Amino acid sequence: MYYVDLFLNGLIFGSMYALMAIGLTLVYGLLRILHISHAAVYALGAFITVIVANATGSIALGMLVAVVVSAIFGMGVYRVLYQPMLRYPPYVAMIASIGLLIFMEDAFRIIFGEQGLTFTRNPYPTQIHNLFGITINTVQIAMIVLSTICLVALALFTTRTRMGIAWRATVSNPTIATSFGVDAIKVRYLNFMIGSALAALAGGLIALLNNFVEPTMGFVVSYKALAIIVLGGLGSMRGTLIAALALGLVESFGTIWVGSYLDRDALAFLFLIIVLMVRPQGLTGAHA
Amino acid sequence: MTLYAYSLLSILGINIMLATSLNLISGFCGQFSLGHGAFYGAGAYAAALCAVAGYPVPVALLVGALVGGALGFVVGFASVRLREDFLVVTTIGVSFLFVGFVRKQKWLGAEMGISKIPASGLGPEGNAIMILLFAAATIALCLYLNRSWLGFAFRAVGDDEQAARTIAIPVSTYKLLAFTIGTAVAGLAGGLYTYFTQFIVPDSFTFILSVTLMAMVVIGGLGSTWGVVIAAIILTLLPEAFRFINDYRLLIYGGVLMLVMRFAPGGLAGIATSVTRRLRKA
Amino acid sequence: MTTLHVESVSIRFGGVQALTDVNFSVQKGEFVGLIGPNGAGKTTLLKIIAGILTPDTGRVMLEGEDVTRLPTAKRVRKGLAITHQIVRPFRSMTTLDNTALAAGYKITSNPLTAAFHWRRSQQSARAAEMLAKVGLAGLEDRDVSALPLGNLKRLEVARALALDPSIIILDEPLAGLNHREAERQADTLAALNAEGLTIVLIEHNLRELVRVSKRLLVLDGGKMIADGEPEHVMSDPAVREAYVGKADDHAAA
Repeated sequence: MYYVDLFLNGLIFGSMYALMAIGLTLVYGLLRILHISHAAVYALGAFITVIVANATGSIALGMLVAVVVSAIFGMGVYRVLYQPMLRYPPYVAMIASIGLLIFMEDAFRIIFGEQGLTFTRNPYPTQIHNLFGITINTVQIAMIVLSTICLVALALFTTRTRMGIAWRATVSNPTIATSFGVDAIKVRYLNFMIGSALAALAGGLIALLNNFVEPTMGFVVSYKALAIIVLGGLGSMRGTLIAALALGLVESFGTIWVGSYLDRDALAFLFLIIVLMVRPQGLTGAHA
Repeated sequence: MTLYAYSLLSILGINIMLATSLNLISGFCGQFSLGHGAFYGAGAYAAALCAVAGYPVPVALLVGALVGGALGFVVGFASVRLREDFLVVTTIGVSFLFVGFVRKQKWLGAEMGISKIPASGLGPEGNAIMILLFAAATIALCLYLNRSWLGFAFRAVGDDEQAARTIAIPVSTYKLLAFTIGTAVAGLAGGLYTYFTQFIVPDSFTFILSVTLMAMVVIGGLGSTWGVVIAAIILTLLPEAFRFINDYRLLIYGGVLMLVMRFAPGGLAGIATSVTRRLRKA
Repeated sequence: MTTLHVESVSIRFGGVQALTDVNFSVQKGEFVGLIGPNGAGKTTLLKIIAGILTPDTGRVMLEGEDVTRLPTAKRVRKGLAITHQIVRPFRSMTTLDNTALAAGYKITSNPLTAAFHWRRSQQSARAAEMLAKVGLAGLEDRDVSALPLGNLKRLEVARALALDPSIIILDEPLAGLNHREAERQADTLAALNAEGLTIVLIEHNLRELVRVSKRLLVLDGGKMIADGEPEHVMSDPAVREAYVGKADDHAAA
């Protein structure tokens, strides 16, 4: 059962990575910007979840507020930061994005303190369930259920609805937008909105699982999400999903097998570098 | 001069070496690297091992430069194979991988790092002078390379790889060379740092350092050696001059990075150029 | 003497056969036009000749030497010059530097040689000469980012000429130019050919192409369907059907 637990754990982390990485893929696909400050949105979501939950006593309300505020924040980042930079080479927006990330992380530290925050009442991580011999806690169940709902909804939206199809076509090839009669500007806002909402959800769930948020929580996750979109071939949603789950599993098993030589965070990048050496176009990308 | 002044000068010299060598890779040749701290760290650890094993200073410094450059050569290989955006993410990975690897190695002292590194024998004053001489040499090298045909071709590679190929420039070789030279200088700076502190820990070479170095390069102006030197001096001295800045260092770095990219993506050098242009017109 | 020889070149992308058994040669001093409707495979063929793509089968020979597996930079060293359909100047440089860098190809082809050379006067003089040849005299010190498209198209030609090529392949050097500019650019090319330069011109502008080239190749659906004198080729019914019929679509698009 030990390996089954590891497998499940890998999938759970993988699903959180997927929620994070989809936003990056959406932004990269459309604007060719490496949206590194996405991690700050994730941390923002986590902080808002804790603060609102502690103030109102409702964790669900906390997550809802976090998702809405982060979605608006994400659109604001596009409007204020990226939009004026689109006429410059892509590194300009990328460096600015790094700037925003370290700015926000330090702001979180100054406002909320280095120690971070905890939920005043959060019984869920310690509610252990035994399903078919697998031990799993309530937050982990919520992670699986919520990420599945989001990803399935996203998949249905992008394959079954006219707007969704046009949207996906636009993301994979921005010049198509006009021939589909899609408003390219609206699609950009939609990308930042959905991507940021998903990142905030992931942030809130991770906060619940750890019962703890800290200013630098987004840092490492963000770079893993970057690694994932590169592994997925940059700009492909399917590739992103596969790479996210693969990374979750690699970390889960890798920590057991090579944990004494490398820490968990370095493992992701070892995986990235090895894959890129063998397949420079990413796990699922086609040959250039 | 006080001990504090010598240590400040030493740090200044090291930062100038790191920033100008990163500028050689990212500014001259257009290869964005967010892992420069890792090559610096590799050089520092290599030199520390040599020093502890009893090798003389020049050997330890040389080994530091070689190890940094060798690691850079390997990562440069990635840059040859990868799309531009992949490279940035890969170098971020190198940064995390380096620290993650070193932290777990008992022979490198793990979290505790390497302490009791023998002194260079030059004293604080001698160390500072040595470091500043190397920094001056690095600046001279960068200025020379930028004027040579090598720098000329680097610019073409940074501007447009495909077009560079069609005028017979072997792009991959150039990228590899830029990485190797730049990271060898970083490795050398690592060796100097080892003798300066006589005590190194993994946390001195984290991703934040790499970002700080990139900040120096873009604030100074990509490709402008003097701009980058000035930015390195400002970003090193300001937090020392105003202690409160040190408490909010990352907040300020982050804010400045955003503002510079938003309003003056050419950095200090870009501002200087447009000012002189306006003066000439007036 | 055969300068360029393309021998039974074929290539597939996924399920699409982009080129099928393409054969042709270009002799020294020729001025050859290559035409074909959009999607005929012109760009793919150019990429194979330039070394950006490797064909599944067949060979590319330059001056009698097989270069099928050589990278672009090495082919350029051996006398192949290419201009880009969408102009690709080095944006951080002046017009003169763009061309001087090409003129220094012997120095830049080895980075170590490049590191130990810094004087540019000889190459700059040569570059100025090339710029004058294509009609860009007086614009040497302009930043290329400030130049109009017509001048950038000329710069592409000057940069290629600075490489002392034995053959120059131009990818739509007239596209996007107005009537008068296109005529001037075509005249420049004809003059260069008269001086002995071997030219392959890929163009949609049939009027200018028929006027200046001495031989036409027609590519359609990945196959070479005609090869001969321009007037003769243009009256070939197969060419008229394949090219002119679709050219109307092109014009409508």
